[in-house]
Amino acid sequence: MSLLEIQNLGIDIRVNGLTNRLLHEVSLQINSGESVALVGESGSGKSLTARAVLGLLPAHATTHGSINLDGTEILGASKAALRQVRRTTAAMVFQDPRSSINPVRTLGAHLIEPMLQVPGSNRAELEARAVGLLGSMGLSNPEARMKQYPHELSGGMLQRVMIAGALMNDPQLLICDESTTALDVTTQAAVMELLSTAVRERDMGMLFITHDLALAASIADRTYVLRRGEVQEAGDTRQIFTAPTADYTKKLIASTPSMRSGPAAGVHTLPSTEGAELVLKVENAFKTYHPSGQPAVKAVQDVSISIPAGGGLAIVGESGSGKSTLGRIVAGLEEQDEGTMTVAGGQIETGSAKERRLARASRVQMVFQDPYQSLDSRITPAKALERVLKLHYKLDAKAMKARISELLASVGLEEKHANLLPRKLSGGQRQRVAIAKAMALNPRLLVLDEATSALDVSVQAKVLELVNKLRRENGVAVLFISHDLGIVGEICDELVVVQHGRIVESGPTGQVLNHPAHEYTKSLLASVPRPRWAKDEPVREPADNNSY
Amino acid sequence: MSIQEAPRKAISRLSLHRTRWGLLISAIFVVVVILAAVFAPLVSPYPPAAVDLLNVNSAPSAAHLLGTDALGRDTLSRMIYGARTALYGPIFVILLSTILGVILGLWAGWAGGIIDAVITRIFDIVLAFPALLLAILAVALFGKGLTAPIIAMSIAYTPYIGRLTRQLVSGEKNRQYVSAYQVQGFAPGWIATRAVMPNVLGVVGSQTTQNFGYVLVELAALSFLGLGIQAPAADWGNMINEGQSALVAGNFLPAMIPSLAVVLIVVAVNSIGGWLSDKLGDPFA
Repeated sequence: MSLLEIQNLGIDIRVNGLTNRLLHEVSLQINSGESVALVGESGSGKSLTARAVLGLLPAHATTHGSINLDGTEILGASKAALRQVRRTTAAMVFQDPRSSINPVRTLGAHLIEPMLQVPGSNRAELEARAVGLLGSMGLSNPEARMKQYPHELSGGMLQRVMIAGALMNDPQLLICDESTTALDVTTQAAVMELLSTAVRERDMGMLFITHDLALAASIADRTYVLRRGEVQEAGDTRQIFTAPTADYTKKLIASTPSMRSGPAAGVHTLPSTEGAELVLKVENAFKTYHPSGQPAVKAVQDVSISIPAGGGLAIVGESGSGKSTLGRIVAGLEEQDEGTMTVAGGQIETGSAKERRLARASRVQMVFQDPYQSLDSRITPAKALERVLKLHYKLDAKAMKARISELLASVGLEEKHANLLPRKLSGGQRQRVAIAKAMALNPRLLVLDEATSALDVSVQAKVLELVNKLRRENGVAVLFISHDLGIVGEICDELVVVQHGRIVESGPTGQVLNHPAHEYTKSLLASVPRPRWAKDEPVREPADNNSY
Repeated sequence: MSIQEAPRKAISRLSLHRTRWGLLISAIFVVVVILAAVFAPLVSPYPPAAVDLLNVNSAPSAAHLLGTDALGRDTLSRMIYGARTALYGPIFVILLSTILGVILGLWAGWAGGIIDAVITRIFDIVLAFPALLLAILAVALFGKGLTAPIIAMSIAYTPYIGRLTRQLVSGEKNRQYVSAYQVQGFAPGWIATRAVMPNVLGVVGSQTTQNFGYVLVELAALSFLGLGIQAPAADWGNMINEGQSALVAGNFLPAMIPSLAVVLIVVAVNSIGGWLSDKLGDPFA
């Protein structure tokens, strides 16, 4: 008998009298000591499955099938029985530690209080156990941590506390729902290490839910691929990733750059930009913020970068590295304190405020991370494009209409999308609208600030393809800001690695990825999740990689 | 909660919007009062000031459906004409205070810094005065009638709208879509008025309907004190005041009917406002 046995689980949700089937006959088993990954894109039902295991479904959901957790049937169980299961058998670690912890209670309270509810518990004993767990999570000075508040810890440290909290009741099953998605890549690597150690040492079962195939491959013994509430493929992780049988799995793997072979493999060959004129030249830029009552933040320190026409430069770094600030300076959203910046030839200093604004806009455009945030929610794509075009060009009604259609077509949107409000468009479609808006001005330089990181992998691949097409066809240069070393090779020939606002390494993408010189670059590369079976093999073939 | 906030809170709890029937009845009631006010000369059985000396302080009868007051005036007719001033005052106050509040709040929230500090302090100072006190002061300075109190109350209610707008705008301006407009070369003033303002107006609009009830009560109080609309014009606050003499004579209707009307219209308008807030997601409701 497995630890967790889900059989033909179906979940329906009734909204406004309509029944939506969100999960179709999902079957899944986890044995003690086994790590099982559940992968899928947004809306595939993976989180719903996890929540069902803990009996955390919304009240208007109806279920059929069976979830047997260590001998207890979860579906239809009484509240008391569910409480018992959550206290003793299973625990869950959520995506964003900051929003799943009470900010006004100490970490000690977070760890101990749920356990005090259990009859016969003893505070001193619990405190000792909590301190021990915090120590084993690699947190220094665990006794003092017990009295700290969540805001005193970084996201990575807080997620360790959350894992410690999940382990307090010595669960037999640990459910991790995108538990490392909000973390930086080096922190993610450390947390993944902790999780696999915990599973091994405690002989727990783990259900690991993620959208990141590489991450699943790095931790799971077996993997289930979920799509629109149906299991597409299930089996041994290595089997699935090396020899997928379902078309959907194949497509997912093809869309994940780092799942191919090491981050450097996907370097695209684009027309040589040697000798081309420089579109962007930033020299010795500095930017320091002075938040009131806090020490100054040196966001950008002595940074010099340049991009030739049609070139692609990636800036890679973790959160707080200053990479977004640099992008905002280039796009004109912030002023640098010191240093010079020239965009597409001349400096933009003459003329009225309006002329300068328009001149800059026609040279540099930007696409933001989250298309759900960066589009005005009340404006349709056609209207948004019309506004931009009206501001910059004098077009008659007919030419305007033609240009809008042309722009939408160039990003792969259809006529029917033109008059839909953003909330009716998918994430990928929205990001296409954002790109169409940016391309409306025929800019020489496109700044992409994490422009694909909020998208599902298959959508991300399409958006990257679109950007490459625009580079080839319009000769637009790209400044690609990302935390993900796996995808920069897809799009950029040059790579700059930043840490604490400084450039620590730069060079051709293939060279930096294959022969990192700086310690920080090496640690970033080592943190890119790699399949378990590849871990013992040499990290990467020396650079006779002839793809660049 | 300050002393002035207490009655505001109490008034705003008078709402039926969480039940479908409550909301429906409220909406019907508001529509009936509006229609009565608009078509007063057509629907009221007597002119509001017509005196029937043979029927003084009479109980409801076929001739006078809601009875008469101490001067023999038909209560129903006066109620219908009174609805005009009851709605007219608050509508003006709401319009003026919303326009003023949105302009100042948008300016403060968008500009930030010293402009924000100055405007916010002015709001705080105005909030320190009870609206009714400002209105009485305005009457003392500019004379009785409806104009002075309406202007004074508009100023008194501006900070409620202004603070809400400022808070919404300063949150909104850090959203990515604002950066996206900036990158495309749109002028800051354009972004503030054409992109940000429409995005906050829904929430502000639902707040204004909540203010309607307070303003109505305060204007009624003003005319109860004899400082608002002057006799012989019909006004609910006035009627409550004049009803006191009938009350002494043993006839409670001339005072009670307008009192009841004030309570009902406030509950009805609050219900609609509460429903709007729920629909539009007022974060401060």
